Amino acid sequence: MSTLKATNLQHASSASPNIVLDSSGNATAGGTIAMASPFAMRNKIINGAMEIYQRGTGTVTLTSSAQYTLDRWASTEDTDGTMTVRQTTNAPAGFKNAMYFETGTADASLGATQYVATTQQVEGFNIADLAWGTASAKTVTLSFWVRSSLTGTFGGSIRNGSLNRSYPFTYTISAADTYEYKTVTIPGDTTGTWATDNTSGLVVTFGLGVGSTYSGTAGAWVAGNILSATSAISVIGNSSGNFYLTGVQLEVGTAATPFERRLYPQELALCQRYYQAATVVIPPSSVTAYQFFYKVSMRAAATVSSAGAGFSTGANSTEGFNYYQTAAANGLITASAEL
Amino acid sequence: MYSNAQYYNDQFGNLAGIKVDINDVPSIVPIDPANTDYQNIMKLVEEGKLVIAPAD
Repeated sequence: MSTLKATNLQHASSASPNIVLDSSGNATAGGTIAMASPFAMRNKIINGAMEIYQRGTGTVTLTSSAQYTLDRWASTEDTDGTMTVRQTTNAPAGFKNAMYFETGTADASLGATQYVATTQQVEGFNIADLAWGTASAKTVTLSFWVRSSLTGTFGGSIRNGSLNRSYPFTYTISAADTYEYKTVTIPGDTTGTWATDNTSGLVVTFGLGVGSTYSGTAGAWVAGNILSATSAISVIGNSSGNFYLTGVQLEVGTAATPFERRLYPQELALCQRYYQAATVVIPPSSVTAYQFFYKVSMRAAATVSSAGAGFSTGANSTEGFNYYQTAAANGLITASAEL
Repeated sequence: MYSNAQYYNDQFGNLAGIKVDINDVPSIVPIDPANTDYQNIMKLVEEGKLVIAPAD
């Protein structure tokens, strides 16, 4: 390896230095710096720092149906054991929160189709620049912080929204109960169908115990629905197994950059495209002019829920709906347009 | 996960959505092919695992 030592970099035709370096590692450019990947909005993962938790449901016992807990993250447990998930403040330096999984009842011998996994589906609009499914497919890098009571080789995958293209990957946790930073570089998929609209574009998955049917060889694209890498550690296979995850970033390029810090209200607004909640006055059915306007446009017309007797809605779009119930009262309304 | 499904009309008599309990939570699902709950409900109907009652 060689080192070029210089203070100034200057084009032959320039009258003054174009880039000035100082001993602290700072670089000042006199013109525009153009990059193949963007400076801002690099991270395609929403709520990668696990700070947004609109549902705020505390500790959730996972089921065989995918459950959204922390915003944008859906988790499933379909084994003979049990596992819980919650938000925690036990996080690496520079992070406020992490998503925490803990085995309740272990299942040390998973059936072929049994699994535990947490996923984030990235909307197609947000991956159009990857050009996946074409010869111009771009390489991406996934980076994250993890911690576990277990050590060894863990696994996950990236899949398309149709769940018929998969790239299993591995990463190693070397020390128990210690946060470690991991990066995985994934070549773009030149085949398959990758949605670029408001449906599911790609799915990032972290396996916490995956049976053989949904496990595959790491490091190559395959046709099929693969959640994790063959022989990866099973967190649910250990009665004291736990798993912390935060700082998840998926970006274009062959190298991970520092986790992109978006302002809290920006991150919240990104989450609200998929889920919103508000306590409002719900009028009686004799009054049908009350409109609920979403804080941001939803991904699709949302599923609306409220516990009020006779609660109902009229026209429902990505922008809002009108609503009423049998008798007027304050009520919590939730709207979900998750992928 | 999905139970007690019934189509419902708005106050003008137009089809407005599906009233359904999702994990026992009363919910209203729009008639929108991009809505994930609508997709899941239609799949269950196709498989014969769920029946949507007509609107009152």
